[in-house]
Amino acid sequence: MAHRKKNKNVGIIGIGQTKYSSHREDVNQPEMIHEAVKAALEDAGITMNDIDCVVHGNMELFEMVHQPDLWHVIGTGAYGKNCIRITTGGTVGATIACAADNFVASGMYDIVMAIGFQKLQEGHTTGGITNMADPLWFRNLQTGALTGSKAYDVIREFGEERGKRASLMYRIIMDKHACLNSLAHRAFGLEFEQIDELIRTSPKLVGDLKLIDMCSQSDGACAVIFAEEKKAKKISKKPVWIRDHITIHREETFNIFGYDEKFPVQTTMRVAAENLYKRNGIGKPLEYFDVFEMYDPASWWALDWLRDFFLLKGDEHLRLVENKDIMIGGKMPINPSGGVIASNPISATALIRVAEAALQIRGDAGKHQIPSPVRHALASGFGGTMWTVLMMLEKELNW
Amino acid sequence: MSLDYDRKDCFVVNGKLALPYSYFAGRVGSKFITTIRDQKKIMGVKCDKCNKVFIPPRQTCERCLEDIRNNWVELGNIGEVVNFTVVRYNDGHLPRKAPYILALIKLDGADTPFAHILDGLKPEQVEIGMKVEAVFADETTNTILDIDHFAPSKTKKVQVSERAPAEKAPAAAKIEPQPGLDERRKAMSRKVIITAALAGAATMKNQNPAVPYSPQEFAEEAYKCYKAGAAMVHVHAREDGGMATHDHARIKATYDAIRGKCPELIVNMSSAVGMGKTAEQRISQIIHVKPEMASLNTNTMNFSLLDRKTGKIFIDFVFENTFTMLQNFGKAMEENGVKPEIEVYDMGGLDNTMLIMKQGFFSEPMNFNFVWGVAGGQAFRPDAFLCLKNAIPAGANFTTCGVGNDQFPAVTMSCLVGGHMRVGLEDNIRIPNGEMAKGSYEQVEWAVRIAECQGREPATPDEAREIMGLKKR
Ligand SMILES: [Zn+2]
Repeated sequence: MAHRKKNKNVGIIGIGQTKYSSHREDVNQPEMIHEAVKAALEDAGITMNDIDCVVHGNMELFEMVHQPDLWHVIGTGAYGKNCIRITTGGTVGATIACAADNFVASGMYDIVMAIGFQKLQEGHTTGGITNMADPLWFRNLQTGALTGSKAYDVIREFGEERGKRASLMYRIIMDKHACLNSLAHRAFGLEFEQIDELIRTSPKLVGDLKLIDMCSQSDGACAVIFAEEKKAKKISKKPVWIRDHITIHREETFNIFGYDEKFPVQTTMRVAAENLYKRNGIGKPLEYFDVFEMYDPASWWALDWLRDFFLLKGDEHLRLVENKDIMIGGKMPINPSGGVIASNPISATALIRVAEAALQIRGDAGKHQIPSPVRHALASGFGGTMWTVLMMLEKELNW
Repeated sequence: MSLDYDRKDCFVVNGKLALPYSYFAGRVGSKFITTIRDQKKIMGVKCDKCNKVFIPPRQTCERCLEDIRNNWVELGNIGEVVNFTVVRYNDGHLPRKAPYILALIKLDGADTPFAHILDGLKPEQVEIGMKVEAVFADETTNTILDIDHFAPSKTKKVQVSERAPAEKAPAAAKIEPQPGLDERRKAMSRKVIITAALAGAATMKNQNPAVPYSPQEFAEEAYKCYKAGAAMVHVHAREDGGMATHDHARIKATYDAIRGKCPELIVNMSSAVGMGKTAEQRISQIIHVKPEMASLNTNTMNFSLLDRKTGKIFIDFVFENTFTMLQNFGKAMEENGVKPEIEVYDMGGLDNTMLIMKQGFFSEPMNFNFVWGVAGGQAFRPDAFLCLKNAIPAGANFTTCGVGNDQFPAVTMSCLVGGHMRVGLEDNIRIPNGEMAKGSYEQVEWAVRIAECQGREPATPDEAREIMGLKKR
């Protein structure tokens, strides 16, 4: 894969998030977006006049409002500006971060604001996903955003007892993180002693995917401002640099799960990780990165993907979880924010990973700031038919 | 060119998407819809920075990014067509059968137009610039279709036109007295006009079941008052649920019902209508119906509901009547042949009128009504009454009404010093002995007795017209 160096370095200079919650009847879509936009502008200490382009990210079918970038101008501040809408499913938030980075890196714009948002309570996500699936092969069979395949994979490989306990261990660690993040949607206050009880009592959705394993449906918005090196340094005391990002697709639907041993499929997570690290000369990702904000739609997936993202072997990924190395204060903290399992306003979700990774580098994450210094952070995005976006963020411009 | 490919055995999957959804309108959007639904009012928001009034309303001005969520502006129901198209095909999702007009309408006072259905005229009759008026839906759907459609406006906007000063009435001394006129005046001075204020805006059936709501009830009650000796009725139209309404159709129906039942009676309509109505709503209905007479209010004042014993406030309300409104309403009435009944709640209101009348548009004689006992106006006092009586222009008439216990003392005094009397359930629900009045007509019967005690007799409607300077029937 050909890959060129950036024309300009790009730094994150402003971050704004709303509180994530199940319902926001008090505001309509542009009004909710505006809360994040205002917060990001304030964080950067600039005004809308400084923004050259707005990148708007949203899955319109999930809320049933067409041309949302137009309706939302009232809240986005894009009135009379360059504005581009991007819709790539679960990865929307990551894709708009990549697009904003590309726009600035290319020299097209100096300062770009990426806005991801979703009000899932207004729509019917699973209905949308099911209805959008390929009509011939899958529309009548789709289970929407819910799938039990990873539970099946993990249990088959490591046994039911260990698999289920590791999945719940991951889930409870995420909840403990969410309890430290005042913006998180779901923070139950779960304890490790509850693992066995939750395995027994949580309702099963599909296969061994239980309600407690699954991510939330949230309302919320996130805005992140990207600037070229000179302006970033001038505007921000602590710009966070985007080193590189990668997006990997694969074939659709039936072949995604890789059950057939004669026809194995490679996961986009591993392909993305391998390529990204290779071209950046990173041999041991687990040692290189200080924190990882991962798009974790369910605890089973998260568990399995750790192996792919960090290029691990055997049961190394399970041991990371079982030893609580992924907790704040551990060897490789995953999702200090509580992750997607805690808050999932879909088109903002992957941008929140980038935003939270950047906050960790800045040291501005508040109660869920990890105690050791953060110089290198990783953020991922994920889409329903298994495509992956990975982004690397750096404290210093020294690579 | 025909498409040249083999379509044999190609399978087509036919489907249909129908997904459930909710839309969270937010606080601002909710207020817009519920105000249309509950109050039949269209509201916008104003950005003070760029001075724009937006409709539909929004939390933020997208140009200035100012927070404008609380800067509400009431826009009234009249606007102008700024663009339109004609829908000429039928389809299941369309709100009307084709052909129908979709117009971009800019409400008076708004800077942004919005789309709605324009009905009540043929597609070839629609013009950019034409005045249109919102027609509200009978049944609410909590959508923008709570405004059912817009229709060509029948209401002329109140024009504050420059007009020549009215011709000064020649000095009284120069009038060549007509034979027998003095005789006639003398006879007329014995006549007292009794008005029945049938409902008002606030008296409800649970206070006195005789308060009329429907046009039919208004007609019946008016007829009984006429039979009892009233020459005039004063009317605030009500909805079936009892709320005071500014809806033209309902007001006209109420007016027509009274006129149909007793054509002789003078109908005097309220230009106050009820709490929270806009200037436009208050005057447009008068111009629409053109009654012989209408109330004209003279000062901005508190108009509240208080516990008379404890002083505890139940409802606090400011009744707005600016000088401009006094002028515009007065002119609009005079221009439309509606004689104003000038409502005076205190000396200030009278003085306001004395200033505005210098413009010369009030026709003579002027007719005042002294109102007593409103929480926000003054309570009845005989000496204050005399002050008002002595301050009105020479040749003007006066009547009086009083709220609650002030009603009968005030009308007695008015009758005594040469004025007229207004009674009715709008002002008081009881008769002097404290019993519930069977209707406004029973209070009219009491007013007739008061007149008889003082040697005066009730004026017939035609005599009342002569006294107050209304056109002869
Ligand atoms: Zn503005």
